[in-house]
Amino acid sequence: MIFNQLTGLHQHIGNWPGKTVERAEGTLHFKGYTIDIVDLPGIYSLSAFSLEELISREYIIFEKPDLVINVVDASALERNLFFTLQLMELEAPLIIALNQIDMAEKKGIKIDYKRLEEILGVPVIPTVAIRGKGVYELLNRAVEAIERGVPKPATIKYGEEVEERIKRLSEALKDLQLKYPTRWVAIKLLEGDEQIEREIYRLNPGTKDLVKEIAAEIESIHGHPCPTVITSERYEMAGRIAREVQRILPAIKAPLIERVHNITTHGVAGYIIMALVVLGIFHAIFSFGGFLSEMLSEFLYGYESLFESTLGVGPLKDIIWGGVIEGMIANITIALPYIIPFYLILYTLEDSGYLARIAFLMDVVMHKIGLHGKAFIPIMLGYGCNVPACLGCRIMETERERLLAGFITTLIPCAARTVIILGLVGTFLGIQWALALYVIDLVIVFILGRIAFKTLPGEPTALIMEMPDYRLPHMKTIIKQTWFRLEEFLKISFPLIIASGIIIKLTEIFGLLSVLSQALSPVTVGWLGLPEIVGITLIFGVLRKELTLVILATLLGTTDFRSVLTPVQMFVFALVVMLYVPCVATVAACIKEFGFRRSLIIVLIEIALAIFIGGITYRLMTIFSILEGW
Amino acid sequence: MEVPLTALREGETGVITSIKVGSGCAGRFCRGIYKRLEDMGLTPGTKVTMLKSAPFHGPVEIYVRGYRLALGRGMAERIIVEVQR
Repeated sequence: MIFNQLTGLHQHIGNWPGKTVERAEGTLHFKGYTIDIVDLPGIYSLSAFSLEELISREYIIFEKPDLVINVVDASALERNLFFTLQLMELEAPLIIALNQIDMAEKKGIKIDYKRLEEILGVPVIPTVAIRGKGVYELLNRAVEAIERGVPKPATIKYGEEVEERIKRLSEALKDLQLKYPTRWVAIKLLEGDEQIEREIYRLNPGTKDLVKEIAAEIESIHGHPCPTVITSERYEMAGRIAREVQRILPAIKAPLIERVHNITTHGVAGYIIMALVVLGIFHAIFSFGGFLSEMLSEFLYGYESLFESTLGVGPLKDIIWGGVIEGMIANITIALPYIIPFYLILYTLEDSGYLARIAFLMDVVMHKIGLHGKAFIPIMLGYGCNVPACLGCRIMETERERLLAGFITTLIPCAARTVIILGLVGTFLGIQWALALYVIDLVIVFILGRIAFKTLPGEPTALIMEMPDYRLPHMKTIIKQTWFRLEEFLKISFPLIIASGIIIKLTEIFGLLSVLSQALSPVTVGWLGLPEIVGITLIFGVLRKELTLVILATLLGTTDFRSVLTPVQMFVFALVVMLYVPCVATVAACIKEFGFRRSLIIVLIEIALAIFIGGITYRLMTIFSILEGW
Repeated sequence: MEVPLTALREGETGVITSIKVGSGCAGRFCRGIYKRLEDMGLTPGTKVTMLKSAPFHGPVEIYVRGYRLALGRGMAERIIVEVQR
């Protein structure tokens, strides 16, 4: 938020080199200076156990930024100071933005920030970033600090027994040529930080015995493992400082927020509200989106005749119009009416704090498939578009959880697949059959997720998530988030769609499509009971799922699918299209996140799955005469 | 009385005495999860208040060090607390 306020829209989002962690950078002009601002991942600690923590730590140590702005949540001062203390130990040039002071005050927390400044020895500026309050002052003080030289933060002392031993270890480390502050290294060694251990013990193997000896002493005094003692004491320091600078008054906050929180996490009411919210969103998006999408595509296709009159009819027009422009139209008619509104709503829910409640409620279900509640968020994103959903799996903590969640999100029917499900099954068979497809999909997701969870070796999973207070969503943040997701979608899918559109058009011109669909006919006709021509649409569908319906209409020469497909065929067709393979853009996103081999496995599994389930469904429906004479 | 965190009733407070590391869990990852719990402020001697326990063996919501934390049930069961009455 502070980052957004400082940089506005002059941002560049990328990845940390070689890492799947987002890196946001921005530039700012202030008092004649050009200031580069890097947004470090939001973390709770500086240990090296998560990628985000490691990245932040290495950035501060090796890139040596002029200044680190530590955004501290004033309404949870103790926990936040725990992190601040670690930055101070790292001797980072520090300035503190004491943020959300309005929220803190509502909770009855009043902070003497001058006193905090004295204790920590670093500038503390109260801000309300959401309203831009204090941001100018923050910048002013930041520039001032850099001009005058950033003061070295105070050394906050541990308990006597621990402090004395940190000193002893620091003394022993003093003569090594270290890239890090000595005291920090001593603390990290006692915390059992593997990365630092490796480096120091390589430099001077003799240190190892001393660390062991000191750790054992601390352990025997306190009765807990040494790393636990260090963390514990650091928290004690944070707590002591927090208690000294804050005064707790009776809360003036309306109990409304509490009540909303209680009811939305309630064992019964919470689930009912969640179901209503989720269904409400889908209903709103797809009834509104369908309408808008139709209007848009009618409008855009209106240009085809104009195009024909300038370029003429022929292979060139086919390639440019059919390959390039139709691809763009499809992108627009999916992105504008479906993806944008969907993400706007989703991020409004996230920013208000509601998604954290959903994650809380869904944790039980997610555990059954080896994930925890937070995985619900990329899954929701998947209903909009699988590309950002796949990238969104980064919020999961471990490699394995990311892969599991990624696999599952590719099976979630995105907006494009919903267009087919509603356009074919919903229109001609009735909405209950369309809903049946969604239910089947969820069942499949659940079963497959469970199998994948049982077969993928690895670590147990656990939800550890801060529950933010509810607050009014901030429009600018929401729009920005939506824009970044849309950008991901466009960046990955646009070039792919156009390139492969051209290739397919060329295959068509050379008459290879019928050869391909003939080759597929044992599967499409023999096993799935579909017309042979469907083979072609399935090939197109790899590019963009919604194409399958358009192509089918073109090939069959009608949009009244009732006259050319039996009800069972429609149902099976939609089912297969829903499952058979993620579109190229999603595959590309998968490769980016999980590597080529794993993505290939996902694709193969899903093709096999779609064919298997499609065939079984076809046979069951025929045997039991389901949908006959509809 | 020492009980797992999950045994606290809503509104009850306990002081953490230890965190049990599971038997089938060893190596770097378990230390990771252990460390994450500690980094979130769940260290021995810390007061935690049970706010809510989700049904069907769902997660728990606790109040610790001035903020609200959601914890998966499996994790919460490993946190041993001394009940304060």
